[in-house]
Amino acid sequence: MQGLARFLAYRLLRMLVAMWCVVTVVFIVMRLSGDPVPLLLPPDAPIAEMERLRHEMGLDRPIWVQYGVFMSQAVHGDFGRSIHFRTSALQVVWERVPATLELAFASFLCAIVVAIPAGILSAVKRGSTYDNIVMGVALIGQAAPTFYIGIMLILVCSLWLGLFPTSGRGEWRQLVLPSVTLGAFAMASIARITRSAVLEILMADFIRTARAKGVPEFWTIVKHVMRNAAIPVVTIVGLQLGNLLGGAVVTETIFSWPGIGRLAIQSIYNRDYPIVQSCVFMTAAMFVVVNFLVDVTYGLLDPRIRRG
Amino acid sequence: MEDVGAKRDGITVDGLARMLRDGQITRRGFLARAVGLVGSAAAAEGLLARVVGAQTTSKNTLVIGQSADISKLDPQMSTTVNDIAVTFNLYDNLLTRRLDGKLYPSLATEWKLVNPTTWQFKLRPNVKFHNGDPLTSADVKFSFERSYDPNAKVITKSILTTIDKIETPDPLTVVIHTKQPDPLLAARVAFYAGQIMPKAYFQKVGDDEFNAKPIGSGPVKFASWVKDDRLILDANRDYWGGKIDVDQIIFRPLPELAARIAALLKGEVDLITKIPPDHVERVSKAPNTKVEGVLYAGLYCLSVASQKPPLDSKPFRQAMSLAIDRQIIVKELWRGQAGVPTGLVVKSDNHFDPTLPPLKYDPNQAKQLLKEANYKGEELTLETPIGFMVMDKEMSEVIVSMWKDVGINAKLEQLEYSVYQQKIREKSFKGIRWTDPTSAYNDPDGMMWRHLAPGGPNAYWFRHPRFDELGNGARFSVDEKFREGAYKEMARLELEFLPLIPVIQPMELYGLQKYVEWKPYANQTMEFRRFNLKMRRA
Amino acid sequence: MASSIRASDGDKVDRAGGSRRGRWRRVPLFVWASAAFMSVVILMAVCAPLVSPYDPIQQALRERLKSPTWFPEAGRHRHLLGTDQLGRDILSRIIHGSRVSLIVGFAAVMIGGAIGGSLGLLSGYAGGVVDEIIMFVVDAQLAFPFILLAIGIIAVLGPSFGNLIIIVGLSGWVTYARMVRAQVLTIKEREYVLAIRGLGGSMWRILASHIVPNTLAPFLVVATLELARTILLESTLSFLGLGIQPPTPSWGGMLSEGRSYLDTAWWISAFPGLVLMLTALVVSRVGDWLRDVLDPTLRGT
Repeated sequence: MQGLARFLAYRLLRMLVAMWCVVTVVFIVMRLSGDPVPLLLPPDAPIAEMERLRHEMGLDRPIWVQYGVFMSQAVHGDFGRSIHFRTSALQVVWERVPATLELAFASFLCAIVVAIPAGILSAVKRGSTYDNIVMGVALIGQAAPTFYIGIMLILVCSLWLGLFPTSGRGEWRQLVLPSVTLGAFAMASIARITRSAVLEILMADFIRTARAKGVPEFWTIVKHVMRNAAIPVVTIVGLQLGNLLGGAVVTETIFSWPGIGRLAIQSIYNRDYPIVQSCVFMTAAMFVVVNFLVDVTYGLLDPRIRRG
Repeated sequence: MEDVGAKRDGITVDGLARMLRDGQITRRGFLARAVGLVGSAAAAEGLLARVVGAQTTSKNTLVIGQSADISKLDPQMSTTVNDIAVTFNLYDNLLTRRLDGKLYPSLATEWKLVNPTTWQFKLRPNVKFHNGDPLTSADVKFSFERSYDPNAKVITKSILTTIDKIETPDPLTVVIHTKQPDPLLAARVAFYAGQIMPKAYFQKVGDDEFNAKPIGSGPVKFASWVKDDRLILDANRDYWGGKIDVDQIIFRPLPELAARIAALLKGEVDLITKIPPDHVERVSKAPNTKVEGVLYAGLYCLSVASQKPPLDSKPFRQAMSLAIDRQIIVKELWRGQAGVPTGLVVKSDNHFDPTLPPLKYDPNQAKQLLKEANYKGEELTLETPIGFMVMDKEMSEVIVSMWKDVGINAKLEQLEYSVYQQKIREKSFKGIRWTDPTSAYNDPDGMMWRHLAPGGPNAYWFRHPRFDELGNGARFSVDEKFREGAYKEMARLELEFLPLIPVIQPMELYGLQKYVEWKPYANQTMEFRRFNLKMRRA
Repeated sequence: MASSIRASDGDKVDRAGGSRRGRWRRVPLFVWASAAFMSVVILMAVCAPLVSPYDPIQQALRERLKSPTWFPEAGRHRHLLGTDQLGRDILSRIIHGSRVSLIVGFAAVMIGGAIGGSLGLLSGYAGGVVDEIIMFVVDAQLAFPFILLAIGIIAVLGPSFGNLIIIVGLSGWVTYARMVRAQVLTIKEREYVLAIRGLGGSMWRILASHIVPNTLAPFLVVATLELARTILLESTLSFLGLGIQPPTPSWGGMLSEGRSYLDTAWWISAFPGLVLMLTALVVSRVGDWLRDVLDPTLRGT
């Protein structure tokens, strides 16, 4: 266990340092991208007014001083005041976290709960119509751009079939289409990986042994699949979850989902540094947590990894 | 609903209508059953038409889908089209402009020009703000003065600049002295910057808190706002103009066009804005929805945002305008839902010059003028937002192609909307950009002069002494004959120098559920009041 | 054991056993079909001006939104796949769009591959602090929502073709780096490499003759998968308005432009979308197959 603990601690430390780096990079990039002051004032504002506002916001100090102030505040959870919303930046972002998490986890659930059984079933019924359909859909899910899937789902499932609402957030039914859209790629990949893993196992020796012994097939399959397919699946899940969290911009735009993605983009354009920094920090933090959990799972699943 | 008492097999007209509305039967199913009720296929068709036209609802909420989220609830901090849809309902103005284009009393019951530089407004008694505070002349004075206060963080500073001093002799009287005679002050206070804000509340909570929890006197009051999700406004039951026909208005941002239209077709929203002409058919042919259009009281123009060569040459600019085939843009891109302008003054404005012809298309003359201008093939950039103005990107592509056809080395650049906004502030465009000026006062002073006066949003470099002289003179004159002459001359000057190249006057197209009875405003104010909004109920 | 070591002729160490030449006969049909499809696409891109019936940027406002000519209710015109919202011929735009999509795809793969591959090599071979630093940068980039970076950069620098390629290229180097590094780590510890180093063989020779050849195969796998991903990324950036600027046609741009017409003039999106998805599909399936054939333990990258 000590090996595992050390491994995890090391990974965690590295992730935290990575997060700090990311936040710093964003800080620098945003400052370089331009000045938010002209966006806040009317077009005919005198230079003196702009200077005053810049001073009030602390933007006229040298960049390392600004950075120092930023870091010292950030450590206390204060990411500054949003230039656009005029309230605590972290607060604004934090308010959107539930929506983002909701969407990310729903997509993740779709990916796991739908894709894995579908993949297993597909392998077991290899070559059947079911298999062909599922694999066909999976291929499309991997090859279609997210926005295309989203709009098609709105047209087909919402408008024509009337099954789900078109957009927005509120009741659970509004969560379905956006989650499927966001999770489409992950679902497709996981279904296919699960299927190949199961196929491999079905042909392996120990299955024949188990059959010969009369052990019920299903649980054997599941156990071995879990063991062998777990690592690639967990890897994909880890990567995808990072995408799901930060990159859900397209899905949020199409379905008018009030998550962090759209907020971050609008804030980039508005040069609302505190919000962008808070968004990146939040996303990186969630990513770190998720990856940490993934690493824990790795460590538990595969003893070889613990030895680094 | 027509009372066809005939009942056969337990089916009534009302029952069929309900089934059709709820989607239980199709139109064909309706016709099949209706024939049995009314006797002939023709009568059944007639019945279907009436039923379909008379869709009803039992809803008490009006849900509006806009193309972008609200940015500010403080009426003096934003005048974008999505925001004024809200602020003209949260707040009232002294006067209001109704669909017939005339000014009507709102918070002011009477107004008159006491002497050339003095206006007097009498306020409506017993008007209360949403928090119960009475609305008095002190609030009017406060609101107007803030709109041009150099220290306030407002963007309306150039609107009410003709005001010199405001007096409040009693709580229901406002006397406004203008710096020079201002015949249009009544029109000015009816538009943005004229919304009345509560002085006491504002001074207590300050800018930021006010923007988060605004208080006005309008027919709806602020309930809650979840950004990028929904803004909920509750009906003001004590509104002086009578409670509006719904209990709640909800604004939802639906930036993706396909999703916005789908939401309307599915009945999730009752009204949507900014429908491009290509999608009008879809919405108007659907059984439950309709399209309402109004000719925009304004124009889509190209603003010559720079004086870098070749844009500094008058013949070159004229060539640019002559190269644009506006007729085909109107006919094909807009499907006829637009008009070709004759200049920078629109038909609904005072002193519109009916003798001016629609802007000409003459590519040969354009090529001539290019030679005259000694055009050497310098690159010209048109910068366009995507989807901010209807069909902006498509029109841009067409216009750039038309310019290329006459030999102008034109290039198109797409910009995201907030980058576009930023360039507007910094005045950092490379060449040409779009602008959609509104004729706010039904007068050339509100559009042509406002945009091209010194310091105006499109007066990048254009300065013509005669134009300025006429503009200043006409603005402060009560002699309508003089004003007419002045504006007509200014219009011709503008067409000669072309700091703004008018392209089209579009129809603003809104999609509504059939049971929403409301007609849109030409100046984009989207007001909902008791007299103009009705939800047809069963 | 014997089969796992070959002499230094660069011959690929083959886990699945059997000679390489015999494996060609086991290549499934769909790989041949995919190769044929890709050849057609590449040919189309190269010969675009010769093959396309119309000028792809020629507008024809009177011919807007016409459905493909073989549809029953279409009018009399010669647009095989219909016209778009400005009257341009869709087939011609698809043909010319292949150039853009392929150039962006391949260039991005090359940039990502070059950066990622070299960093991966360096990281795996050098080990120690260098490895730590590089892997750390990898973690940092993964933690970062890439699309935000893309938007930020393009918003600042402008949506030019070059910027687009750089962004798309930078989005993927991490995958190459990790994979190459993993390969290098494995090979580095092999007996024959240790033997050569013990005998005083130079680093460059080891790299060139042993390590690099053995990373080529997995590199190819990643490259094909990345090609599919970059083609899709270009379309997402077009959706956000940050992709190829008009009037240059690109599959992603066409798919994005037609997205509000999906239930009316659906051909504007459907045909470019079909080609885009087929290409992404074909490329990624070949990549999957390559991976399964060359080294199944790579599954999950």
